[in-house]
Amino acid sequence: MIQLKTLLNCIDNSGATIVECVRNMGMKRHGGVGDRIIVVVQKARSMGDSGPGNTTATGGANKVRRGDIRHAIIVRTRKKYQRKDGMVVRFDDNACALIGKNGDPIGTRINGVVGAELREKQQSKILSLASMHV
Amino acid sequence: MASLTPILRPTSCWKTLLRRSRQQKMCIRCLTTFEPPTVPLPPPPRLPSSYPSPFKLSRGIREPINKIKTYPPPPSARNKYPCPLDEWTAMHLKDLDPTGSRTRLFARNNPDVPNAGDILLVTFKNGDPFAGYCISIKRRGVDTAILLRNRMMVTGVEMWVKIYSPNVTAIEVVKRAEKRARRARLYYMRKPKHDRGSVEGEVKEYLKRRRLIRSGALGVKDPTMSAKRPEQAKSGVKAS
Repeated sequence: MIQLKTLLNCIDNSGATIVECVRNMGMKRHGGVGDRIIVVVQKARSMGDSGPGNTTATGGANKVRRGDIRHAIIVRTRKKYQRKDGMVVRFDDNACALIGKNGDPIGTRINGVVGAELREKQQSKILSLASMHV
Repeated sequence: MASLTPILRPTSCWKTLLRRSRQQKMCIRCLTTFEPPTVPLPPPPRLPSSYPSPFKLSRGIREPINKIKTYPPPPSARNKYPCPLDEWTAMHLKDLDPTGSRTRLFARNNPDVPNAGDILLVTFKNGDPFAGYCISIKRRGVDTAILLRNRMMVTGVEMWVKIYSPNVTAIEVVKRAEKRARRARLYYMRKPKHDRGSVEGEVKEYLKRRRLIRSGALGVKDPTMSAKRPEQAKSGVKAS
């Protein structure tokens, strides 16, 4: 149940750590796993990490900065949701991954578990980046 | 002389006087509450016998009522199905659990029944297996489900799994709780203070041991193979 003012963890390596939802795309009241939202970056990793010659380690560490407005895909929700086969899945936090306007993920890596609903919502790029899905 | 004055008046005056007195009379009539006792109506004259009385049922009227055909009530479904819910559950379990192994695994009279606090491993037909601490067991016939909790890459994940789901191929007990949990539902494990973390190590150890047992390296008989009725002994254990 991601809605206006919800704070989410950003689990990709775009540089953002905590983002705030400002809008659900698609006239939805609440966002679930796989939904697209617009977020404001509230907290970003410090810019000092990515110097010249340190690009491989940090990846896209400063692709976003605090105050940026970006699109994102929800990958985990605290609210439990039921699947077609009766299983109910719940995570301990709300998390998302930033994407560009065209739908491609901004980060190059996603560290954390994501919901398998991303495949149904045509977000396979994020699903393949993730190291684990449930 | 004075008393004769009204008489001596023209007759038109008489008219007005009479009219007034008539109005007064009307007023008096309206105010009276007395009513003379009403005389009861004389009984009606005796009717000819051909005309039936509406108050007295003669034989001629009663007979047609008996001639209307009555039907017995339709057979009650309650008599046919005394416990419909039980039958409905049994009907579905016959399809979902033909050997009855899942039912036996989670039956309360089973001495080896999984309890809250045990580590369970669930294998799916499509998708990765999921292991976790069993936080709660919901016994509701076909809807019987277990709630598993695990930590995957720092994040806690909880999953309700329906044990009769056709998607579930096996439910295995990885590790029993050392001490019986004093609660039926261990929701307190969601709190960071009580969170037991990941079960990855235990599951890895269990799978290694299971592989050794099945290969015969440990010299322990595989219970699923040595049982009298191997089909029934496989209480959800995935065949290798």
